Amino acid sequence: MQRFNFPVVQPDPALEELRGELQAFLKEEREAGNFRPEPECWMASADPEFSKKMGERGWIGLTWSSQYGGHDKSALERYIVTEETLRSGAPVAAHWIADRQHAPMLLAHGTEEQKLDILPRIAAGECYFAIGLSEPGAGSDLANVKTKAEKVPEGWKINGQKIWSSGAHMCHYMVALLRTSPADGRNRHVGLSQIMIDLSLPGVTIKPIVDLSGDAHFNEVYFEDVIVPDDCLLGEEGGGWKQVTGELAMERSGPERFLSSYITLETALYQLSGKMGSDSHARLGKLIAGLRTLKGMSWGIANLLDQGVSPETEAALVKDLGNRLENDLTQQVRAMLNDLSSEDWSPDMRRIMNIGVLRSPPNTLRGGTTEVMRGITARQLGLR
Amino acid sequence: MINTQGMVAETATKIYTDLCAREVPHEAEAGRYPQALWDALTENGLPLAWVSEANGGFGADLDEVFGAIWASAQAASPVPFAETLIANWMLDRAGLAPADGSASFALSGHTPSADIPFGMHADKIVLFDEAHHEISLFDNRVAVRSPEESLSPDGMTQFVFSGHVAEQSAKTDLSRQAFEALILTVRAVQMAAAMESALNLSIDYVTQREQFGRPLSKFQAIQQQLAVAASECAAATMAATQAASAIARHSNDPEQAWHEAVIAKVQIGHSVEAVTVPFHQVHGAMGYTQEYDLHHYTRRLWAWRDALGNEHLWSKRLGEALAVTSPDQVWKGVTTGDWTDRKSVAS
Repeated sequence: MQRFNFPVVQPDPALEELRGELQAFLKEEREAGNFRPEPECWMASADPEFSKKMGERGWIGLTWSSQYGGHDKSALERYIVTEETLRSGAPVAAHWIADRQHAPMLLAHGTEEQKLDILPRIAAGECYFAIGLSEPGAGSDLANVKTKAEKVPEGWKINGQKIWSSGAHMCHYMVALLRTSPADGRNRHVGLSQIMIDLSLPGVTIKPIVDLSGDAHFNEVYFEDVIVPDDCLLGEEGGGWKQVTGELAMERSGPERFLSSYITLETALYQLSGKMGSDSHARLGKLIAGLRTLKGMSWGIANLLDQGVSPETEAALVKDLGNRLENDLTQQVRAMLNDLSSEDWSPDMRRIMNIGVLRSPPNTLRGGTTEVMRGITARQLGLR
Repeated sequence: MINTQGMVAETATKIYTDLCAREVPHEAEAGRYPQALWDALTENGLPLAWVSEANGGFGADLDEVFGAIWASAQAASPVPFAETLIANWMLDRAGLAPADGSASFALSGHTPSADIPFGMHADKIVLFDEAHHEISLFDNRVAVRSPEESLSPDGMTQFVFSGHVAEQSAKTDLSRQAFEALILTVRAVQMAAAMESALNLSIDYVTQREQFGRPLSKFQAIQQQLAVAASECAAATMAATQAASAIARHSNDPEQAWHEAVIAKVQIGHSVEAVTVPFHQVHGAMGYTQEYDLHHYTRRLWAWRDALGNEHLWSKRLGEALAVTSPDQVWKGVTTGDWTDRKSVAS
């Protein structure tokens, strides 16, 4: 009897063809100076022009139907695209979240009109979405959201505030978890709903939050009597909690949870070519063993998702292990680089390392903190 | 997940369930060898599972048998089942008949002696002599055996290969890496299985043991420790499964599975401390007693992580192998599990 369900998937040569196309494109773009590689690119490195190029090549919206501008491919093909863009540190943050979670959400819960209107624009790399979960009083305790949507004749009237909304300043929509009716006594999971909000509507105010590195990729978003039409309710009224937790497997198990700083390692491998000492060999071996193992786990979940299974605990395990590995990667590479004298570091190496260090704290926070992930695992173990 | 379906795995699981209940490893350590368990495995032909039909075995696919090894390790097998499977596979790959009885194995490096797991119990010893590309079978019962200090209750002996006449010998075209790939994969499966059994014991213990008026499991500090350990167990199972899958895919050329096997060795070896520390911690003093079962798993984990060299040595070997390939090849290996550098093979 094995406790966790991570299937092993046999290699598929057809997928490798797609990988080759991605690699050729990304190399060309990088060499043309169209982007500078960065760690954590999926969160903090956005370039709408780059997103449009990805869209033109058919690399956004891979999994959904061509009827809605998609490409009728599998979740595994989408995985290859995300993996290769992460490896290159390419500026994919603009479209990443819409492609990963909001398009599937619209496919499941949107009206035909919304699907025909919005999905082709997402697939073209022209329409971006922000996540509307956290609030000042609702972080790990997500069920404490206070932002309200009231039923009015024109639809829903929204008042309140969301925070840490990555990319909201360049996004067209937010899907927000809102209170549409009061909690039932101590059961706060009832009465929450997911509503899609056009961020250009009157009453929406977006204020940037500057992070410790000086980047302003996340925001506060205020809603003051914002009116959205009825059909912006996604899914069931009052079913928001279940929908949100159901999406988390997708959000937590992808390659961005352990490959976001691979660019740091790869840049160092070029730098250290022929100069690595035995201590660095040991560090490299251990890192690669961890990365290969995480890839197996994450890939196993991608296969389950493709079959319609959404394994919440396995996804929490991948996020916890992956975040630890990513932070460790940066530290191990710092040690390995002692095989060079510091004046031999290329400017790119120094820039990438610095970005990697500065962007490391949120790894273990966003998408659910490490402590929350371990709580999910503990529940599966029967401890709580 | 390790495949535990199929006749070989299911038969082994049943035998271990029936004949290796929790008291059996305790009794074995007290000197009462579980002959009935070994006889049942033998009567069902299980130690011959990897022997080709031409040599009198089942000719089972490699991956059909890993589920049987999983079951044996979960039962803290006090008989050399996995070792005999490995030894017979080595003989078979040199065209030799399987060992008569139980067997263990050694890879000779530059020294003429080797540490033999289960060396006091195995009837035969199979040696891969790298210098002569030869597989030889020795009778362990006539050898002078000196028990070595061992962390594992299965014991270890030092076998000095000088002047012993092999019962059988034959050339093999397999490299040392090929044998390492199989041995490391089998150990990885055993270790992942033992880790999961120790996790299960820990969960049972903390849900039953009460302090401060409630079960230990209700304390968040306990929950979080075991959640981290569980994530390491899940990773260990994945690493073992990927190695098992690779060697099954490359059964004609097991050397091709070397990287995935070494990755499992490194990943799992490094996680032993990350699991055995919390498992013992949550058990309190009880887990440290001989009477309790936890040490049947933790002592084996401590011994297995040292087998053929510890995780630090293998991390370095893996890193050395990767450092001479290109970063493109490293990425290809990480993402696809294909570690064959076609450019270097071609040149």
